[in-house]
Amino acid sequence: MNVHRFEAMGCEIAVAGADPAAVAAVFEEWEETFSLFRPDSELSRVNRSEALVVAVSPLFARALAVALDVAAETDGLVDPTLSGRWRDVRIAGRVLSRPPAIALDLNGVVKSLAVDTAAELIEGEGFVSAGGDIAVRGPVDVALPHGGAIRVVEGGLATSGTASRGPHLIDPRTGEPSKSPWEQVTASGASCLAADVAAKTAFLLGSDGPAWLDEHGIPGRLVTSDSAIVESSLWRGALACT
Amino acid sequence: MEMGNDSRIERARSRARGAKAAIAAGTLLVFGAAFVGAKGHAPGHHKGKAKALGAPKSFERAVKRSIAEGGVIQPPVAPPPVATSTS
Repeated sequence: MNVHRFEAMGCEIAVAGADPAAVAAVFEEWEETFSLFRPDSELSRVNRSEALVVAVSPLFARALAVALDVAAETDGLVDPTLSGRWRDVRIAGRVLSRPPAIALDLNGVVKSLAVDTAAELIEGEGFVSAGGDIAVRGPVDVALPHGGAIRVVEGGLATSGTASRGPHLIDPRTGEPSKSPWEQVTASGASCLAADVAAKTAFLLGSDGPAWLDEHGIPGRLVTSDSAIVESSLWRGALACT
Repeated sequence: MEMGNDSRIERARSRARGAKAAIAAGTLLVFGAAFVGAKGHAPGHHKGKAKALGAPKSFERAVKRSIAEGGVIQPPVAPPPVATSTS
């Protein structure tokens, strides 16, 4: 499998089975729209705006609608407002309304949505990975944190945690960086978005993470800061298959 | 002479009654038409069963299922070309 690698969205992008230039264009469009570090990005402009109602681009509207669905599905654990006020944000078509002083941060879904979007460009078999969040078409073997590997047959795989950037995941229940016992949580989802949301949710739920994964039928692997590995029952079951 | 005056006054009153009746009928007709039109077309007066303005339920179900649905994994069979990690 011929793998092309380049930098985008502040991480390494790896592509196989798709035109790297077309994939790079997808990531550039998403970064141009959602980067919090670019003052001229659409998200930065929306967050600066004092208007209660603003018109947004179709891409912005779509991503925000997904982010609000994710917040509802995770009971606000993955929250685009990072402050528990996601219910106050409304998107109707391309019209966004929110109370004053609510800033949006779509980092919880943007990277994995961009990966899923770029994966649509794969012809035949291949994968797209952004900083280790992966969507596959056809089976792809993936190396795991702290050793080992897994074959992703369908959907996506994502890892969330504090290993590379420290405690950057905010727990919306406290407004503080999460004190999760996990260092890294890897989850397998029907898409890269599903995997990413599951990994983040299981991480933020702390000791309840494995039970949440089992309850939702999601294979997951959780690693503590002292490298102890806990596998959800579906992960164990998948590895037991030969 | 006096009878002639009475007759003219009576005729004038009769015309006035006719005009009032015509104006009342016209007003009722215009009000009725406006009422029916408003009931049929104004946003606050739906004609049939209310429908949700959001995405179809099937789409919402698909999104929710996708968000909370696990992928398919197996034991590895080859050296991995890519790794998953936090970024």
